[in-house]
Amino acid sequence: MLNSLDSGLLPVVFLILLAISAMSCLILLYSKTPLSFTHIHVGLSALPPFVALLALFFNNEPIVVGPLHFNALTWLVAFFVLTVSLIVQRFCIHYLLGDSSYRKYFALLTFTTIADSVAWLSNDLRLLLLCWGATLLGLTLLIGLKKQWEVARNAAKTCGLLFAFSWGILTIAIVWLTQATNHWQLSNVLTSESLLQLDSWERTCISLLIIVAVVIPAAQFPFQRWLLDSVVAPTPISAIMHAGIVNAGGIVLTLFAPIFQGNLVQIILLVFSSISVLIGTGIMLVQVDYKRQLVGSTIAQMGFMLIQCALGAFLAAIIHAVLHGLFKSTLFLQAGSVFQNNVSSFNTKKPLSLLTIITGSLVGILVGIGYWLTSPEEVYQLVSAFILGWSVSLAWIQLVAFGLSRTGRVAGFFILVGGGSVYFFIHHLLHSVLDGTVQKSIQSPFIAAILIVLMLLFASVVAILLTRKHLSRFYAIIYLWLVRLGEPHNDVIESHPSYLTQMFSQGGKLR
Amino acid sequence: MNTTFVKALSLEKSPSNVDLDINDFVKSASKVIMPVGPITKFAAHNPWADMEQQSFEEVARRLKIISDIDIYPSHSVLESAFKRGEINQEFIEIRLQQWLDMKSLDLPGGAAIQYCRAALFQDKQTFEYSPKTELRRIAKELLRLKYEIPKKHTVQTYSKRIDKESSDKITQILNGQMIKWCKLFLDESQAAWSMPNREKGFYSSWRSLVHYDPAVSSSIRKRLNDLPREADQALMEALLGLEISFLEIQDYLEAHLLALPGWAGMMLWRSQQYDKDMNLLTEYLAVRICMEYALVKPYLPLPQKKTEDNIELLESLIVSWANWGNLPIKTWLQLSQKEIKARLTLAYDFDQIVRNRILLEAWEHTYEAQLMNIISSKSRNAEENVKPTLAQFAFCIDVRSEPFRRKLEEAGPFETFGTAGFFGLPIETCQLGSRHSHPSLPILFKPQFRVNEFSSEPNFKSYQQRQQTVSLLSNTFKKMKYNMSSSLILPEITGAWLSLQTIARSFFPRGTGILFRKTKEAWLRKPSTQLSLNRIQTSETELPIGFTEEEKVHYTRQALNMMGLIEDFAPLVVICGHGSHSTNNLYASALDCGACGGASSGFNARVLATLCNLPEVRKALNEDGICIPKETVFAAAEHITTMDELQWIYVPELSNKAKEAFDCIQAVLPEVSNQATTERIVKLPSSIISSKNPKAEAQRLGEDWSEVRPEWGLARNAAFIIGNRELTRNYNLDGRTFLHSYNWHKDEDGTILGNIISGPTTVAQWINLQYYASTVVPHYYGSGNKTTQTATAGIGVMQGNASDLLSGLPWQSVMQSDQEGYHDPLRLLVVIEAPKEHVERLFDQNQTFLQKVRNGWIRLASIDPEGNWKSWH
Repeated sequence: MLNSLDSGLLPVVFLILLAISAMSCLILLYSKTPLSFTHIHVGLSALPPFVALLALFFNNEPIVVGPLHFNALTWLVAFFVLTVSLIVQRFCIHYLLGDSSYRKYFALLTFTTIADSVAWLSNDLRLLLLCWGATLLGLTLLIGLKKQWEVARNAAKTCGLLFAFSWGILTIAIVWLTQATNHWQLSNVLTSESLLQLDSWERTCISLLIIVAVVIPAAQFPFQRWLLDSVVAPTPISAIMHAGIVNAGGIVLTLFAPIFQGNLVQIILLVFSSISVLIGTGIMLVQVDYKRQLVGSTIAQMGFMLIQCALGAFLAAIIHAVLHGLFKSTLFLQAGSVFQNNVSSFNTKKPLSLLTIITGSLVGILVGIGYWLTSPEEVYQLVSAFILGWSVSLAWIQLVAFGLSRTGRVAGFFILVGGGSVYFFIHHLLHSVLDGTVQKSIQSPFIAAILIVLMLLFASVVAILLTRKHLSRFYAIIYLWLVRLGEPHNDVIESHPSYLTQMFSQGGKLR
Repeated sequence: MNTTFVKALSLEKSPSNVDLDINDFVKSASKVIMPVGPITKFAAHNPWADMEQQSFEEVARRLKIISDIDIYPSHSVLESAFKRGEINQEFIEIRLQQWLDMKSLDLPGGAAIQYCRAALFQDKQTFEYSPKTELRRIAKELLRLKYEIPKKHTVQTYSKRIDKESSDKITQILNGQMIKWCKLFLDESQAAWSMPNREKGFYSSWRSLVHYDPAVSSSIRKRLNDLPREADQALMEALLGLEISFLEIQDYLEAHLLALPGWAGMMLWRSQQYDKDMNLLTEYLAVRICMEYALVKPYLPLPQKKTEDNIELLESLIVSWANWGNLPIKTWLQLSQKEIKARLTLAYDFDQIVRNRILLEAWEHTYEAQLMNIISSKSRNAEENVKPTLAQFAFCIDVRSEPFRRKLEEAGPFETFGTAGFFGLPIETCQLGSRHSHPSLPILFKPQFRVNEFSSEPNFKSYQQRQQTVSLLSNTFKKMKYNMSSSLILPEITGAWLSLQTIARSFFPRGTGILFRKTKEAWLRKPSTQLSLNRIQTSETELPIGFTEEEKVHYTRQALNMMGLIEDFAPLVVICGHGSHSTNNLYASALDCGACGGASSGFNARVLATLCNLPEVRKALNEDGICIPKETVFAAAEHITTMDELQWIYVPELSNKAKEAFDCIQAVLPEVSNQATTERIVKLPSSIISSKNPKAEAQRLGEDWSEVRPEWGLARNAAFIIGNRELTRNYNLDGRTFLHSYNWHKDEDGTILGNIISGPTTVAQWINLQYYASTVVPHYYGSGNKTTQTATAGIGVMQGNASDLLSGLPWQSVMQSDQEGYHDPLRLLVVIEAPKEHVERLFDQNQTFLQKVRNGWIRLASIDPEGNWKSWH
């Protein structure tokens, strides 16, 4: 029924609602507004993502409104960013109650995420740059919002510098691109005629610049520092950072995909992302701080997303970015339950028999091959099939073979099948929604996919060998390097948060 | 100067003697910190428990010098209490006069008292004075007059001393390294890759790894190359290398322990738990000081410690006289030498610590006066009970019981008693099917028995299978997360599920929480269980399971005696434990029963109620003169403090009369709970943004994953009243008092009082001082803001990127908001209802308690039979 509406209506409604939610956060900022207004503000913030969802399913005709272009991809990204923002702001209502910057958190969260979603809606590259810059600025301010705390200030400084650098690089790349093609509109820049105006060396340079610009916010090696230091931010801020901001790299690369066609720059990206996957996973394995483990995991996940981009699987990268965002924000918000989750106080260990290992592997291999055969011509499909098969065999062993009783095994089997079905359903859904709007014709050399699979296999084998021979010197060296890579910088550590004692004396009152 | 002495000493003694020495030093130094247990068993710790032989003020001065922390409330806290009228001016004057009398200064007409008053009440506490030149000139003049300023003896770590001179931040680097090694070593969360060689001990594993650590420069690593094999040897060598004089070793170790008291405290805790870790604290110090030695070596030898800069101190004294005593700077030179001396001494002695102490004591005095008014305003002729008592309830002393007891008593012919929530049972409990057992008693004591929950074999087996299915999911998740390939796809598989859960929890916190819990309970269907109360002999190294017949009688009698319930039994006696319920809260166990080591006391309540119902126990008690009527039945319940609900956990077959009582209780409970919630919920800050009805709000507080203050816990606790309930009945004590039942008539030799003081009172004192410390020194003894914490190593929390292992209560547990406090930092006031002589006898019998009172770690008052109030502090 909504199809019959004027296709320009939803974007306009969406923009009006965005403006309303921005207004409401300004009202909240005014110190005489009662704090219970946060509920209304959050309620209003729920409207734009709702409209984006409607548009995504009922009305995904591409349309350009002023400097903005609305299509399935941009609707999806806007929906995702605003939803994460909504969840996080809802969480903040009680979580941050009593904080001296309570109102500012809501204002900055709203401001940052609106800027972020508008950035990816922009067709005009100037607006894109402006909004993306505003997003990075907002994030920096959020990290440093506990101004009294030196550690938070230092972390914000590190982030701010890296972000400014990244933004500067992106600006250079875009200005170069627009000067060469004489267009500021993304849709015009990326037509094959426009791109023909670029020399091949120009194209390489621009691609290179864009890649440098995106690996920084994605916290990729060697720029992972800022994400490691920003653990100092309050939990919901970390949630939004890891969910909504770090994955911008995947979106930028997808938007600019035509530039990369047949370019060796992809190989460079592949190398650095693979290193990040290794380092990130390593950090996750050796770290004992919950939030730092999550940081390690994010670095690896973003590396994987960029690998997907480098292999030309932009659609898969977008899906990964979105699902990872939701996944990671939940894990952050749940940070208070770590100990409950960890204490599985029931004795449920059962030795692994050879038979289960063989069955598990067989199931995995079958699923992997089956999946690969569905579209063997795509390069990324090989990586995907490998990982999927590997995971299924692991899950099979854990869920089915470990079951103590028949009920347990049956339940485990259903969980496995259920999990798998949801996986395929979600993928199918997103595929069908995004079909046509995301570039997917780029092919990279097949050998790249094989190399990635080999790397994953090799790393797994090394990991197993290392943990078996605990005492080896090699293990100690690798272990300590990973610890070092995951540790914060000295100037963002404080043994005791002494700023708290000053909060009283600065006009503080006891009750 | 003293180094030669040490060298001589170490030469003269055989190495084994030296080993012994250093461990002794570590042992005595360890008194400045407290053992820190894992946060999942959050038990209240008095951070100064081992320093009580010194007075509160002495400890305050010492900690100020070593760690630069103030353990008296800051001036702004006290000032705001004064402005709210919680500090009576009259009491300040009394204290001030006492202090001045003690000093007996020779100053003209009221100058001293005027100065002191101004210092106490003026807002401004620090001054800038200009022009500096004139000030300096006068100070120099005065110095020439040979005014001696008493010197403070301080021992600081070398790293701190170097930090003052240069910008290298050695302490920060050292702390960062220690945090890293400690958390890797102590990890209990089973990181997928754990620290190599951990089983060899902290020092050895560190020693074997530090050569490869890329986080320290190779020059430093080189200095750590030839370390001795043994930790104590290494510690000794490092101290020698640093040329710490023999006399200063203990102070030096203390300074290092106080740099990161949380991690050091965790090492101390471990060393007390397992024999193999006995010397863990020595190993910790060995690592720390060896590392310090390697870091500071290039700076050695340090320049001689400069004597305190006298001139600056003198200037500050002159300026404070100018501001508080209206004494213009110029007039100093016209004063007599004697007067100069007197004035300077006053200004020097009346320092911030003394000022804050006077104000704090006046605050405590004011609270005492208020409590005295409430209690003695009562007409002492106890009102006649028209109705016979239908049921008796024994609650934990916890301050949260007080409002609930009050509401319950108002609702019907019920009588309530207060006793420590572990009910005197020194037991370790083990829930059905659990691998872990919990020492369910105050951390002051060690468990002596173990009580298991069990059920019939087939029931248990199927229950265990259902349990396992639940844990399958989380185990699989964890396994896939720590595997490189599967971790990459994990978000894509679980993302949809998790976001569904997130959305539900965000927008329907109450419903979702309840749904999740109900579903889990429905799936698990925990079978009905029994307790292993009869003795089963186990191997000698393990705790015996259950009690012998004599022990059953002994502990039952003791519990009944302690709560003062030895006659006039009602048909139904309910033993009430208490527990809390919160979601996504690392500090969940801090809200549980403090007397049960940070767990619900429901289990203990059930054990006691079951014991009381045993016919053989009753028979033996009867012979001792405790006659429990046949129709009296004991039941057990759990007081859920987040919800103000009473949930039954053990109801045996009831006699007719007991059934009648039970039905009556069931009928009034909803209303009692409702009233208690209404009174409590408005005190929580979230009430300003949620306008729901109290009951729904209480449920939300317990289920909402974004809630940082699910309840106030024991915040605002201030007094511990040992006496008959008649003393306090019908009075609103605002949930600030621990109430312990006690009847001095029934305690001729003072044993019961002695037990109350050494057990429950000490627990309450520790809780009180933990709240006190977390409020007054939130960054050091508290655990900082909840929102910026990160859980680490499966044992505790750190702030931000990395910090000390924080052991106290979070900021949100004692603060209304960043600017407004909630807990009033007052030291516990113990009130005993007994004649004066009984208190004196108590002092004779219990020197430790006397020491606590004398040294200001606790305050004591008593009410004699005539109703006279006497303060003992």
